[in-house]
Amino acid sequence: MKTLTFIIFGLAALAQWLVPLAGIMQHELTLAKGTLIKLKCSAPDPYDPLRGRFLAVRPQQREISVPAGAKLQRGMLVYASLTTGTDGLASVTHLSIEPPQSGDFIRLKSSYVHNEKTQIHWPFSRFYINEKLAPEADHWFAENIRSTKGIIAEVRVLNGRAVLADLSFDGKSFREILKQRDNNPSGTAR
Amino acid sequence: MDITNNGPVSFGGPAQFYPMNNSRQRWLLEQLPQWEREGLLTADAARTLHERHSSDTSQLGLAQVVIGSLGAMLIGAGLIAVIGYNWDDFSRPVRLLFAFLPLLLAQAFGFRVLQRGDSCAAWVRETAAVLQASSAGASIALVSQIYNLGGEWPDFLFWWFLLSLPLTWVLRSHAVAIFYLVTTAIWSVNQIVPGRPWQDSPLIYPVLLLGLLPYWPGWPRKEALSISLRWVMTISALIGLASAAVFANEQAVDYPRYHSEAFLWLWTLSAAAIALFPLNQAGIDEASRRKPQVVLGALWLLGYGVATTFRDVSNNILKGTSHALELPWCWGLLAVLAGFALHACTRRRWAVLAIASLALLPLIAVPVVGQGETGSSLLSWLATLHLSVIGLTLILLDFIGKRGASRLGTLLLSVLIIARMADSHFSLLAKGLAFIAVGVAFLAFNFFMSRHQHHAAQT
Repeated sequence: MKTLTFIIFGLAALAQWLVPLAGIMQHELTLAKGTLIKLKCSAPDPYDPLRGRFLAVRPQQREISVPAGAKLQRGMLVYASLTTGTDGLASVTHLSIEPPQSGDFIRLKSSYVHNEKTQIHWPFSRFYINEKLAPEADHWFAENIRSTKGIIAEVRVLNGRAVLADLSFDGKSFREILKQRDNNPSGTAR
Repeated sequence: MDITNNGPVSFGGPAQFYPMNNSRQRWLLEQLPQWEREGLLTADAARTLHERHSSDTSQLGLAQVVIGSLGAMLIGAGLIAVIGYNWDDFSRPVRLLFAFLPLLLAQAFGFRVLQRGDSCAAWVRETAAVLQASSAGASIALVSQIYNLGGEWPDFLFWWFLLSLPLTWVLRSHAVAIFYLVTTAIWSVNQIVPGRPWQDSPLIYPVLLLGLLPYWPGWPRKEALSISLRWVMTISALIGLASAAVFANEQAVDYPRYHSEAFLWLWTLSAAAIALFPLNQAGIDEASRRKPQVVLGALWLLGYGVATTFRDVSNNILKGTSHALELPWCWGLLAVLAGFALHACTRRRWAVLAIASLALLPLIAVPVVGQGETGSSLLSWLATLHLSVIGLTLILLDFIGKRGASRLGTLLLSVLIIARMADSHFSLLAKGLAFIAVGVAFLAFNFFMSRHQHHAAQT
């Protein structure tokens, strides 16, 4: 009985390590081997008291047509096929209940179907930033949020998983822009 | 009043053991020497009582659980605050170290407590379990934060309570068991979203509850379960099964065409199953207040029974029953209920069976009235008749010297009379006079019963 107790304890302790480690592994694997796709989005700047400063990432594409005959229900897991356009920006072009055989796709949850269209709940919504860079990020957003160029979310996609890798503006990495601005408070670096 | 056992109670026989809480046991043990000195007890009798009710020091008091858990949580919160103050200055590997080091330390502490076995105080066991469960949750949350993993809080909660469950078995932690019961109920309510696969829905709640099998009432255990754990378990089971019923109903047909009337009957079947949950003889012999599954289940069933006596409500229940009978979940509940009812028959739990049978009245009415028909008063009259019989039986049992509940019976009959007056077409004056008459009769009966019991005690 005592041996069984120790075996159960050992397995539980192992599982308590495996769950977070599996999360890290999937994340790193997606970043390393995933396809890079770019999504045009808007990004206001809220604050999560538990996890710090983040940018709320909202891709501009909000809805997609439901294929004829597909019985979608709210909360159902579906697969969104992604196609990159001539401008280099990707968009969801097709929804399916089964994983697509080819191409890049993201697994996401469907919403209510209305007028044969459903809203897209993107599997990423937050891009966390360093607290010390946050004030500079505030200024940067105030200056650029209404720009026609728009903010681009750079997402790595692998086997239906999506990881938000970076944000960019006018071809420059968001992290780089903020670092430049932090080093050069006059704000010449955009 | 114990509504779970109508038979005469025997305290004789060496094999009988009646669970008593720790404070009462301590009081009894303190009195024994004096009773022996005063000649009230023989030395043999005092020794037998001492052996039977020797205080179990491994049992947890509420204060021990609270202090142990609170201490562990304060340490955890303090560490988070200290680390969080400098969080932005740390590199990713250092942050990961802070995510996993507390888990490693908590696991080492838990291992040491396990090694020491029963020589370890109960509160130390409790503290070790709470620390380990907290650090397991914290490590998932911190890794999620460090890597911006995203995801939704119910998924985090799911993994957290699942990883904490084994600690309730091996470290016998009541605090972690309560945490598990609360979080599984919260998770189940949140998962009521049609379209979810069954394995990610409240339908798996019974399996999650099965995880706490060693804590179930009636399961062979060395020590009696604490009252707080029993209440949390019952409330969690009621919420979890109610969530599963709602999900099963909504899943069957697309929104907004699902039938909300079906919930009520499915919930009532769940309450009946909970009230009839199989108990061993020691469990049956316990007082009703130590059996929250019977108290809450019976309260719901009686409330449902009285509501069913109203014609409009009974028509809605009939409509809901017709829809519910198309659901596999409903048939599963009926099968479980049948099994529990058979077990209750063998244990002679007639009072609980009588109350639980209220849930099955729609099954009698549906074939007679027909599915989808709503213009009948049959179900409301059946419910009125059933409740009246229960009320009268509870009163009569007391008069013939059996274990009854005359005041509950009177209350039930009074409520029925008031309900019938409320939906009748009599004038307000007539209704008022009837209410006064019922009130006077109730007080008179209470007075009569007090005298009757006083007289019975004297003779």
